[in-house]
Amino acid sequence: MGNFEYLALLGLCLAVTLPLEAVLHVGVYRQRRRLLSCIGCVAAVFISWDLIGARLGHWGYNPTYVTGLRVAGLPVEEYLFFVVVPLCAILAFEAVCATLGDVSNWLTARRKRLRERIRR
Amino acid sequence: MRLGYTLFCLAALVITFGLEGILRTGLFRDRRYWITLGIVAFFQVLVDGWLTCRPIVTYAPAQFSGLRFGCPPSRLFRGEGMPLEDLLFGFAMITQGLMWWQWWGRRLDTPP
Repeated sequence: MGNFEYLALLGLCLAVTLPLEAVLHVGVYRQRRRLLSCIGCVAAVFISWDLIGARLGHWGYNPTYVTGLRVAGLPVEEYLFFVVVPLCAILAFEAVCATLGDVSNWLTARRKRLRERIRR
Repeated sequence: MRLGYTLFCLAALVITFGLEGILRTGLFRDRRYWITLGIVAFFQVLVDGWLTCRPIVTYAPAQFSGLRFGCPPSRLFRGEGMPLEDLLFGFAMITQGLMWWQWWGRRLDTPP
């Protein structure tokens, strides 16, 4: 994989969370304005931090595993990281919301059935 | 300066809680948020572990606490693993992301 390894890892993150959209129908990708606004807000802050951290030498990137394309000194993969990771977290959150909703609906329905059975 | 990354992480925590003070999303009282945080933390250890064990990303030893999650013994891994600070970084980024998600959701829902 070599130079594409970091990119591939980000791709894997998107692939693993895709079923949440495609199967659970959480509708995150469909809310384009909300998603873009949200990612814009987070990415702006954390990319700034990343730029400063890299410049101060807090961290660095191994040239073996990145494409070598750089913007303002950071590998392009790093910019994508700040889009992909918040996106995955939002998908996870919406999946939890959808699932908990289902569980609580199921519990309510079960309770109702039980109550009716007791009444009879 | 030493412990630069550690200091930045602590600042990020303060900013995250401060942001909730401004946006008032109620996220910290929401059970669904804490469940999500647990799920995301698990995957963070996997992905960040890979990033720092290969290593794709390297850290200056003087700039963080020196506490790291280790790496599985394997020829795949020549790095030293994920700094403890990365958990704080992840917490700040995920939490701020979900705050903005809720905030924009509310804002775009209600017509002005």
